[in-house]
Amino acid sequence: MIPIKKQYRRLRSLLFALSSVIMFFIFWELIALYSPSPYVPDPYSVLKAFITMLTVGDIDGYTLTWHALVSLERVLLGFIVGAATGVPIGMLLGIKPTLKGAVTPIIEPLRFIPPIAWIPLSIVLLIGLWRYIFLIWIGVFFPVLLDTIAGVKRTSITLIQMAKTFGADNKKIIARVIFPSSLPEIMNGLRVGLGVGWMCIVAAEMIGGEPVGLGRLILKYANLLQIDVVIVGMITIGLIGLTLNYFILLLEKRLFKWRVEIRA
Amino acid sequence: MKKAILLESVSKKYEVGSSSLEVIKSLTFDVNENEFVCIVGPSGCGKTTLLRLVSGLEPPTSGRILIFGDPPDPRKQRFGVIFQEDSLLPWRTVIGNVKFGLELQGYKESEHEKIARTYIELVGLQGFENYYPHQISGGMKKRVAIARALAINPDLILMDEPFADLDAQTRSLMQRELLNIWSKLNKTVLFITHNVEEAVFLAQRVFVLTKRPSRVKQIINIDLPYPRARLSPPFISYRERILTAFHEELEGI
Ligand SMILES: Nc1ncnc2c1ncn2[C@@H]1O[C@H](COP(=O)(O)OP(=O)(O)OP(=O)(O)O)[C@@H](O)[C@H]1O
Ligand SMILES: [Mg+2]
Repeated sequence: MIPIKKQYRRLRSLLFALSSVIMFFIFWELIALYSPSPYVPDPYSVLKAFITMLTVGDIDGYTLTWHALVSLERVLLGFIVGAATGVPIGMLLGIKPTLKGAVTPIIEPLRFIPPIAWIPLSIVLLIGLWRYIFLIWIGVFFPVLLDTIAGVKRTSITLIQMAKTFGADNKKIIARVIFPSSLPEIMNGLRVGLGVGWMCIVAAEMIGGEPVGLGRLILKYANLLQIDVVIVGMITIGLIGLTLNYFILLLEKRLFKWRVEIRA
Repeated sequence: MKKAILLESVSKKYEVGSSSLEVIKSLTFDVNENEFVCIVGPSGCGKTTLLRLVSGLEPPTSGRILIFGDPPDPRKQRFGVIFQEDSLLPWRTVIGNVKFGLELQGYKESEHEKIARTYIELVGLQGFENYYPHQISGGMKKRVAIARALAINPDLILMDEPFADLDAQTRSLMQRELLNIWSKLNKTVLFITHNVEEAVFLAQRVFVLTKRPSRVKQIINIDLPYPRARLSPPFISYRERILTAFHEELEGI
C-alpha cells in the first residue's frame, strides 16, 4: 500500500497539473475572444475541426490518421538513415581524435544550418521520398553524432586496458567495451534526434508535391486561412512527438537497468 | 628453467608537454615460476607503470622484459591483471564480468557458465551472480575482478594494490583467501602494495623500490612458513627491516 503522505503528494501534483491545463484553455479562450483578428479559433472550434479531420478528412479526403501515418513513415525512414550514419561515424570520430579534428571545421558550421534552409538544395539534388529523408536526416544526424562522440570519449581507460590484458584486439575492444559503455549516450542522442527529426516534418513537407502529411495539412489550411485545422495539425505533431519520446525513455529504462542508481 | 618474469635494465620515460618524466630507471629483477613476489614502494614511484610494462600494455623506453622467455603480449600469454581502480564492466552482472575474460580468451561458449561459477564460488560470491557492480560493495567488486582474472587460468597474476580500499578485517580475510588460492593453483604472483605488513604476510620475496625514478633498493627473502603469524618476533623483525628501507625512501620525498 502507498503511504498516505505519498498519496497526498501525488493527488496534489495531479491537481496542479490539471489546473494548469484548465488555465491554459481559459487563456486561449480569452485570446480568441479579444483578439482583433477574426482568424483566431477558440478551443471549441479546434475540437470540432479535430473530430471532422479524424472522421471525414480534409478537403482532399485524407483523414488525420492517414496524414499522421504518412508523416511518421517519412520521419522514421529519415531517423533510420540518421541513426545508421550518426552512430558509426560518431564511433569512428570518437575513437580517432585526429580524424575528428580534421572534420570538425566542416561539421560544426553545418550543424547550425536549419533544415528549412536545405529545402532548395534538396529539391535540386534529390527526388521523391529521398527529399523528405534528407531533410529529416539533417535533424537526426547531428544530435546522434555528437552524443555518440561524447559517449565514446567517456569510456573508462581502465576498462579498455583491462580488455587489452585479456588479449582483446581493437575490434573486440570497440564491440565489447566502447560501444556498450557509450550506449546510454547513444540512446540519448537517438531520442533527441528522433524528436528533432519529428520537428523537421513541417519543413520537410514544405517541399510540396503530394497532398498528405501533417506538415502538408498545416500548410494547406494555412493557405485557406482555416487556422482551426492548422492548430489540429500542430497539436497532433506535439502529441505524437511526446509519445515517441516516451517510448524511447521506456526502452532506455529497460536497457539500462545497470544504471538505475545513477538516474534516480 | 625460464624465469616467469625477467626485467633487464628497464627504463620508462613519459613525455608530458615539453618536459619528460623518468619514472623507472634501469630496473632489473626476476621472478621465478610459482613464486609470490610483493613490490613495495612509495606512492607515485612507478609501481602501476611497472605493471603496465610487465603486462605489455605499454613498451619500455629502453631495456628488455621477458615473460617465460618472450616479450609481454597479452594475445600470446595469459595475464590475470587486477587493476588498482575499479575495472568491472558496469553493464554486466557479476557472472557476466567473470565470463568476459573467458570470452576474450576464446574459451568454448558451453564452458563459460561452469568455469565462471567455479571461480565465483572460490572468491565466496555465490548468490551474487546476477548482481550489477553498482549493487555490490567495493570489496566484492575486487573479488569479482580476482575471479575474472583467475578464471582464464593465467600464466601470471599481476595485482595492483587490490586490497587497498578494504577495511582491516576484510583485507586480512582476502589475504588469507589469496594465499589459499595461490597454494591451490600454483601460480606466479606479482603483487603491488604500499602496505609493508601485507607484503611480509604474503610474499616469498619482497622488492623494495626507491622513489622516482625507481630502481630496486632491496630484495628481502621472507623465510617464514605459511600461514604466518603477524605478531611473531620474526614477522615483526622482517616488517621492521622493510619499513626502515621504505622510510629512507619516504624521507627523500
Ligand atoms: N600516462 C602517463 N603519462 C605521464 N605520466 C605518467 C603516466 N602514467 C604515470 N605517470 C607518472 O608516473 C609516475 C608514477 O605513476 P604510477 O601510477 O606508476 O605510480 P604508483 O607507484 O602506482 O603510485 P601509487 O602507489 O600512488 O598508485 C607518476 O608521477 C605519474 O604522474
Ligand atoms: Mg599505482
